[in-house]
Amino acid sequence: MKKNFTILALAVTSLIWVQSCRTVDSKSVGDFVDSVSKNFNDVVDDMQGRGEQSRQAHAEKNAPQKKESLGQEAGGGGLIGVAESLGIDRQTAKIAKSAVGLAQALQPIGLEEELTLGGSLALEVVHKFGGLYKNPALQNYVNLVGKSLADVSDRPEIDYHFAVLNTDHPNGFATPGGYVFVSIGLLRLLESEAQLAGVLGHEIAHITQKHALETLKRSKILSGMSSLTMSAMNKNEGMFNKVILEASNTLFTHGLDKDLEYEADKLGMEYAYRMGYKPSGLQEFIEILDKSSLGKTSIYFSTHPSFPDRLLGLGQLLPQYKGGDHYPVLAARYQSRVKEQLSKVNGQL
Amino acid sequence: MQIALFLLIVLGFANAGLAETLYVKKSDTKLQATDSAKSEVIAKLDEGTPVTVIKKLKRFYQVSEPGGKKGWVFKFKLTSKAPEKSSGGSGELLGALGGKQKIAARESSSGSSIRGLTPVSENHAKKKGISAEDIKAVKEMETFQVSPEEMELFLKEGRLGEYGQ
Repeated sequence: MKKNFTILALAVTSLIWVQSCRTVDSKSVGDFVDSVSKNFNDVVDDMQGRGEQSRQAHAEKNAPQKKESLGQEAGGGGLIGVAESLGIDRQTAKIAKSAVGLAQALQPIGLEEELTLGGSLALEVVHKFGGLYKNPALQNYVNLVGKSLADVSDRPEIDYHFAVLNTDHPNGFATPGGYVFVSIGLLRLLESEAQLAGVLGHEIAHITQKHALETLKRSKILSGMSSLTMSAMNKNEGMFNKVILEASNTLFTHGLDKDLEYEADKLGMEYAYRMGYKPSGLQEFIEILDKSSLGKTSIYFSTHPSFPDRLLGLGQLLPQYKGGDHYPVLAARYQSRVKEQLSKVNGQL
Repeated sequence: MQIALFLLIVLGFANAGLAETLYVKKSDTKLQATDSAKSEVIAKLDEGTPVTVIKKLKRFYQVSEPGGKKGWVFKFKLTSKAPEKSSGGSGELLGALGGKQKIAARESSSGSSIRGLTPVSENHAKKKGISAEDIKAVKEMETFQVSPEEMELFLKEGRLGEYGQ
C-alpha cells in the first residue's frame, strides 16, 4: 500500500514537473494557448456582431488583451502566428459576419486582382500627392527599412515597394499589393530610424491585413457580386472606375474604420519590435505630429483616429514589449541617410 | 525500477507532445550553425519548408529541416501557418461560416509571373489623365531593388533582425 502510494506521489510530482518544464522552457506555448483563447474570443465577438465597438472601448480591449502574447518570448510568428494557426482571422470572420444570411458573398480577391487595384491606387497616390521625390539614395534607405520590416511581417511572400512622395505635408499611404509611400514632409519630421520603422510598419500592416480590400468588399459598390476577377475588371470598365473611386474615397477622404487603424498601429509596433527597433517609434512619431503645425495638414489627421486616442492605444501596448526599451533607435543613421540627404538637395549644407 | 520505468514513459509522452512544426515564411531563409547571425550558413530554406523545433532561445530557434540538417533560424522568419496546397476560393468563406478551420491562402508574387502594373491599371490611369511621368514613376518604384548584400550590411550595422539583441 505504502509502495503504491509512493508510486502515485511520484507520478503526480513528475507530471507537475513536466508541466512546469513546459511552462518555463516553452513559455511561448503557454502564451500561444492564452492568445488562442483570446483571439478566438475576438473571432466569436465578430461572428456574433459584437466586434463593432467604440474607439475607446477598442483601445481598452485590445491593449491589455495581448499582454501575455507579446514580448520577447512571443512565438514563431509573434501575435500573428496565433490568428494564422486558427485559420480564421479577424477579416475572414468579419466577412463571415456580413455574409451570414446572404446567398451571395464576394469571394476572396486574388493576388492579380489585388495588384491591379493596388497599382491603380498607387498611381492615384502619386498623381494626387505631389509625385515621387527622385533621390535614389533616399529611396534605397526607405526600401531597406521597409523591406526588412516586410520580411518579418505576416505576409512576407509578396513584393513590397517603397517610395518617397514630393510633398511637404507629412503623409503616408499603403495600397493593396505592397505599395507604400511616405512624403518628404513626414521624413523631415521624424528623428530616428525606429520612428520611420513604426510608420512603415503601420502602413505594411494595412497590406498584410488587407484592410482596404476588406473594406471594399463590404462596400455597396460590390454588393450582389460574387467575385471580382480580372476578367470582370477587363470587361467592365465602368465597374472598375467605380471600384477605384470608392477605394480612393476610402483611403484619401473618409479613411478606414477606426478599428482597422488601431490594428495597424498595434501591428506596426509589433513589426518594428520583431525587426529589433525600439518599439515606441510609432508613438513618438504621433507625438511629434500632434505637436507640429503641419500635423493638421496630414492624412494621418484627416482620415485616422485622433492623435490622443492613438497615443492612448499605443501607450497601453508598449509595456508588454519587455526589454524593447533598450533596442536601437538609430537616430544617427537616420540623420546621415535622410536629414543630410534632404539638406544636400535643398542646398542647406 | 517500476518508478524509473514510469517516469521514462511519462517524460517520453511529454517530449513527444512538445514537438512543434513551423514553416519558413520566405525563400532564402538562413539555417545557421549557431544562434548568431555571424555563424556559418548551413543551408538556405525555401518558402513553406516545414521545420521541427528543437530548442527556443530569445530570438533564434534551433530546428531540423526535412533533409535532417539541424541549425538555427531567426524566429520571426518562421510561422505556424502551413502553406496551402490549393487556392482558397470560396472555401475560406464557407469554412469560416461552418466553423471549420481552414488555413489562409499563402500567395507569392516573387515566384510568379505577376509583375508590375497590369494593363488594366495602366489604361485606367491614362484615361483618367494621370501623366506618363507618374506612370513611369510607379513602374520605377516597382523595379527598384536592394541587393541581399546591401540588406545584410544594413541589418548588421544597425544590429537589427538576426543581428539584434
